[in-house]
Amino acid sequence: MKNQVLSALSTTLAALAIALPAAAQNGDGNLVIKAGKVITNAGETLENGTIVIQNGRITAVGKDIEYPWNAQVREFPDAVAFPGFVEAHTTRGMDRANENIDVAAFLNVRDSIDPVNFYYEDALRAGITTINVQQGADCVVGGMGYVVKPVGMTVEQMTVRPNSGLAMSASPKRGKSRATQAQALRRAFDDLHRYLDETVQEKKEGKDYATREAMFQGREPDEETAKGRPMTGSAWKVEGLELVPRWELDEKQAPLLSVVEGKTRVFLFCGSPMEVMTALSIASENGFLHRTVLVLDNSCWKAADAIAERGVPVVLDPNLMYVERDPLTGEEQRTFVPKVFQDKGIEFALRSAGNSGQSLWYQAAICMANGLTREQAIAATTTVPAKLLGLGDRVGSLEKGKDGNVVLFSGDPLSVRSFVQNVVIEGNLVYDRATDTRAMHLDSGAQPDNTAPYDPNGDWKPHCCDDPTHEHVVKTDEGEDPQEVEEAPAKKHNHPVDGDKDGDKDKDADKQGEDK
Amino acid sequence: MNSSASWPALAGLVCALSLPAVGRAAAATSPPQDAPVYVVRAAKVVTRPGHVLENAAVLVRNGRIERVAQDLAVPEGAQVIEGAVVCAGFIDPWSCLGVDASVLEDRSPDAATRTADGLDLFTADHVREECLAAGVTSARVQGGYRAGTCGLAAFVRVDPTLDTTEGAVIDEPCLAMSAGLSIDMGPSFRRMPDGSFQIDSGDRPIDVFDRVSAVERVVSQIETGRQYREAQVEYRYELEEWQKAIDEKAKELEKDFKKAKKDREKEIEKAKEKGKEFKDERYKEDKKPREPKYDAEREQLARVAEGELPLVVEVHRAAELRNLLKGTASFQRLRLVIAGGTEALTCADELAERQIPVIVWPSLAGPNGSDEFDGRDLALAGNLAAKGVPVLLGSGGRQGTDTRDLPLLAALAVGHGLDAQKAFEALTLGAARTFDQAHRVGSVEVGKDADLLVLDAMPFEPGSAVRYVLTGGRLAITPEN
Repeated sequence: MKNQVLSALSTTLAALAIALPAAAQNGDGNLVIKAGKVITNAGETLENGTIVIQNGRITAVGKDIEYPWNAQVREFPDAVAFPGFVEAHTTRGMDRANENIDVAAFLNVRDSIDPVNFYYEDALRAGITTINVQQGADCVVGGMGYVVKPVGMTVEQMTVRPNSGLAMSASPKRGKSRATQAQALRRAFDDLHRYLDETVQEKKEGKDYATREAMFQGREPDEETAKGRPMTGSAWKVEGLELVPRWELDEKQAPLLSVVEGKTRVFLFCGSPMEVMTALSIASENGFLHRTVLVLDNSCWKAADAIAERGVPVVLDPNLMYVERDPLTGEEQRTFVPKVFQDKGIEFALRSAGNSGQSLWYQAAICMANGLTREQAIAATTTVPAKLLGLGDRVGSLEKGKDGNVVLFSGDPLSVRSFVQNVVIEGNLVYDRATDTRAMHLDSGAQPDNTAPYDPNGDWKPHCCDDPTHEHVVKTDEGEDPQEVEEAPAKKHNHPVDGDKDGDKDKDADKQGEDK
Repeated sequence: MNSSASWPALAGLVCALSLPAVGRAAAATSPPQDAPVYVVRAAKVVTRPGHVLENAAVLVRNGRIERVAQDLAVPEGAQVIEGAVVCAGFIDPWSCLGVDASVLEDRSPDAATRTADGLDLFTADHVREECLAAGVTSARVQGGYRAGTCGLAAFVRVDPTLDTTEGAVIDEPCLAMSAGLSIDMGPSFRRMPDGSFQIDSGDRPIDVFDRVSAVERVVSQIETGRQYREAQVEYRYELEEWQKAIDEKAKELEKDFKKAKKDREKEIEKAKEKGKEFKDERYKEDKKPREPKYDAEREQLARVAEGELPLVVEVHRAAELRNLLKGTASFQRLRLVIAGGTEALTCADELAERQIPVIVWPSLAGPNGSDEFDGRDLALAGNLAAKGVPVLLGSGGRQGTDTRDLPLLAALAVGHGLDAQKAFEALTLGAARTFDQAHRVGSVEVGKDADLLVLDAMPFEPGSAVRYVLTGGRLAITPEN
């Protein structure tokens, strides 16, 4: 069924089929992977190991283990199987990262995630299998994030865990200073407190009035009807909130109430060490310190003591080396940020740099080059981010019961010479480098079928033939049927003749599916 | 103020009601518990301006002054520091030391914006160190000087080892505003040697109408605060009355309930007989008075109007100053402090009569300085003091490093006619009192924070170098460092 949907989409939108080689190769979530080496990331590394995935979950990992006789087996004798990296926080893969409203707790990135975004394709190439997409930091309270896998044509298909946490920022939004930002953040919670107080007060007064009215009219007062839940949480409480059913509360306030009750994770961005102080104080004043993950700028290591004291986990800035000059001597001082957090015993996750150039494997490798152990560096890109996202039992290692996510590297995952050969997500082979046209193009300069050669003037033609009069049908994926070709008449065309290219050029562009 | 006669009676109630959500003062800094014990001994201990104890010593324990006496026995383990003169650490009442640049330059703060939220305690530690070496141990720091309403100030301890807001901020002692400054406080106005102002090209100047409206805005803000508080108090009274009436009514209803019930049953039967639908009688009662809508900014303005919080207004020209004095005359509890006051001498009599302190900013730059009011008259402090105006000395709150020069600025003022003792008072107890910090800092007295300077000679005397500095009981500066 999914395959049908996908093939229909890929034939009508050849563009997407090329952009997402992954999407065309889904399976049924049952797969046995045999790899030359299996890094389980759960204590052991197996030579010639086997991973059995059933219904999308790993059911066994080991050497020479049994698996169902009818299982589909893929053998990768030269590859290294690895659980896949976990991106703890990104603002990529979305249509828009930021909003204009200061306090927008009611927003959800679900409505902004763009499944065909280039980013997800790149994530597969880099071996990232789990991604937490969050609103950007240009906010006061930004909205709810989502954990997704980089495969699927809809947000629902991509979802690993909805509502991963609310984005907030202690760092000044455009047009604000640090002081007014902190003021706005505090005010968001003050407003919530006041709103709840007023709502409860109104409810009580309404009840009192109804009682008096009944007495006056000679009726027995009505029994209480709707009942809500009392407020929980550790910071401040509004007595009598049980009088108000939760569904009566303003939907703009409800997400923040859930934060104060300690039920929602918060990703709190800090752009400087002082903002860490502000963030920590606001988080403890409002009872969500234990649900807070700090997303840090690289200068924030200066506040590491305060973070360690409160035991708050962090996501580090992609730029791992902090460089400053001594104001008096002018001497350059370099601090390798992850080392500081490691030494203070703070849980930290690494983050890819904005343009996929420094992906998680690279960040982990840089950590090893600067004094962290291999285990620490890998943990910061797998198990730690998994834990921060509340997915510690689902992703981050190859163990029985976890999601069937396996990345097959051509060599060691942290080596600059290795590349991702295949990616399996929830038991489905979703990426194969052998069919990754874009990678082929980049690697060997090969001109894949149905793609246009690079022409700096933008004046390009299909490469398949040089005969301008030849009628050419664009090749689609296997399994295409004639009907679909008919449905898409634009597929047939005459190559433009000299002097008359304008109109056809655009159509070509649509069809050929070039992104840029 | 038409209702001002009835106000004093309400004052007590007002204080009880005020629940500043934003101006929650930072938690009092708890002094370090295992800090070393010091005995600071000197030929002269200036306990407070004008009071000198000969051959005395100060015992410092847990960050506080535990004893000041001439026959002080040195406790075991105490470190003894000796010098010629001991006095209280200097206070800069007008500074921006440690204020984040974005907060300092911010044009959008309101009355509830806290400078305490905008401190940057991780960078420029060396500047704090230099300020300490100059003898400045605490400061009122203020952000948003470009804005009409600059927000709440922070009273901070100068100590580079403190890097949390709770640790560094002693209190949030006042609200600050400005009136009549140019929109870009660059070199737009310049006072010429003949006393006139010249407008420099390039920056947007402020015209005379803006200047007038700026003062009006300050006054009207205070007025909104007063009205807000008044509305709150009225609401409490009305609510009390309403509650009383409703309670009585409820009692009555309860008493009459049986009868009402019987009547109702009868009515229902009657309606049935007649084949009509029964309708309950409509119930009426007095509406509950509405609470004034909470407003964080007006909360602070109300505190200002009621004198719970001093209001610092930076104002320079005689015209604005005169308008400001006129506009605020009716707020009897307002505690106004003038900052700048370049032409304050023209209003000296009124300032003296109302005992409005002026924070004078003596300038090192002289009459050809680059700033708008850098024509600051070095004799201003002396002249104002001579007229009986309470004078404070500040470093202007434009650059954090200026706080380091405060003692030098004070010396300049002394050199131009300010009485040395008055200058010393301005830097210590005067500043502390103006901003309600005299229970913590400003003098060498038992129970106060151990902010102590050990000098070679009396303050402002030539050769009065700073030898040792204790800030909050921590020995921060010694001749060795």
